[in-house]
Amino acid sequence: MRHFPTIIAVWLFGLALPLQAAGDGHHELPFNAPVLVDFGFFKITNSMVAMWLVAAVIIFIAQLATRKISLVPSGLQNLLETVIEGLQDFLATIMGAKLARDTFWFFGSIFIFIICANWMGLFPGVGTIGINRVNEAGKIIEWAPFLRGANADLNMTLGLALAFFAMWLYWSVKANGPGGFLAHIFVYQGEGKGFIKIMLIAIFFLVGFLEVVSILIRPLTLTFRLYGNIYAGESLLELMLYMGGKWFGWLAALPFYFLELMVGAIQALVFTLLTAVFTSLMCTHDEEGEHGH
Amino acid sequence: MDLIFILAETGGVAAELQAVGENLKSQFGLHGQLLFSQMIGFLVFAFLLKKFAFGPIQQMLDQRKMRIAEGEEKLKRIERQLAESEETTAAAIAKANDEAVRLINEAKQGAHTFSEQKAQEAIAQAQSILTKAEAAAKADRDRLIAELKGEFGRLVAATTAQVTGKVLNADDQKRINEDALAKVEG
Repeated sequence: MRHFPTIIAVWLFGLALPLQAAGDGHHELPFNAPVLVDFGFFKITNSMVAMWLVAAVIIFIAQLATRKISLVPSGLQNLLETVIEGLQDFLATIMGAKLARDTFWFFGSIFIFIICANWMGLFPGVGTIGINRVNEAGKIIEWAPFLRGANADLNMTLGLALAFFAMWLYWSVKANGPGGFLAHIFVYQGEGKGFIKIMLIAIFFLVGFLEVVSILIRPLTLTFRLYGNIYAGESLLELMLYMGGKWFGWLAALPFYFLELMVGAIQALVFTLLTAVFTSLMCTHDEEGEHGH
Repeated sequence: MDLIFILAETGGVAAELQAVGENLKSQFGLHGQLLFSQMIGFLVFAFLLKKFAFGPIQQMLDQRKMRIAEGEEKLKRIERQLAESEETTAAAIAKANDEAVRLINEAKQGAHTFSEQKAQEAIAQAQSILTKAEAAAKADRDRLIAELKGEFGRLVAATTAQVTGKVLNADDQKRINEDALAKVEG
């Protein structure tokens, strides 16, 4: 609590930076993440740097918390245990205890990464400290901040969605077997007799194709939902900073920072929840006494 | 005709999708290498987080749950033992109580018998003392009576001798004594 005034001061200073840097100009947040370093075969964007930074900070804190791990927790270990236990219990209500435990490394990482990356995008300096790129004529062609919210980059959100899709495929085939996986999508497994059963089998087979389309669309919906929300949030903050003018931009943007804090958490939760539900639909069975489908 | 229409439609959709793809690449900066890098970056991050955070913490949580379960099991066992011990103690106390009551009753009975016996003894002793005292008193009285009789006889004889001026022999003395005594006792 005693650091609160210092934090606020640093924050406000950070908010004022883009105005100082840009003068009266207004930088619109581009849809794509600018490339900071280009080795030809390997490019590094500002969102990639932000991702590494977030990952490094989280892993550093995790290691700090578990360095002297003890049966009676305290400090950081306590915090980490609360987060992990709470998240695992939450996932267990969706997927069942066993599946939640087996897949927790992925869903836990997804949630922690997305929420931290979203919130880190709100830190002063992220998206506001950078360089103006000029062409040969000396005209500014691009504003390239050194850092950008990691999830305000389609490559990142699509990367997360594809990583999930790959893991989902693996878990589904592992749980059902290759034949079981296809049967799960195309084959009617309920009860019935005679003509009705034949009809149901035919309908379920046709619906299976719709299910395949739905499955293929899932990564795209996950990608654009997260990207859209975070990009829109950052754009909104930039717009508010601009609309507030040189001296009151920070004040105009301040309420939206709280909104974005909430959006960041909600989007992390939505992404985790949906991916967990998709996995649960495919991997848990009614006879296991878990959440069936 | 329908087939041609469907194929044309499919071709249209494919062209549409291609345009969307181009748009995603140009406008949103979708790039194979960047996408792959970010995806691998995230998976590496997830692996490291599993190694440094989830693994140790989950292990610790399991260990703690196991300890708690063991503790609860021990507590149940202790409670069971306590209940058994309480039962045993209650039974032992009840048994001791019965024994104590029995001993007290026996002691009371013993004391009563003893007291009765002692009282009888005391009565017998008192009776004996009384008998002895009575005998002693009777012996004393008899002795005193004998002495008194002797003295009385002697005085009667002395008085008779003085009054008569005659010397009395033993038979006279005896006869006078007996007469005098007979008169006195008579």
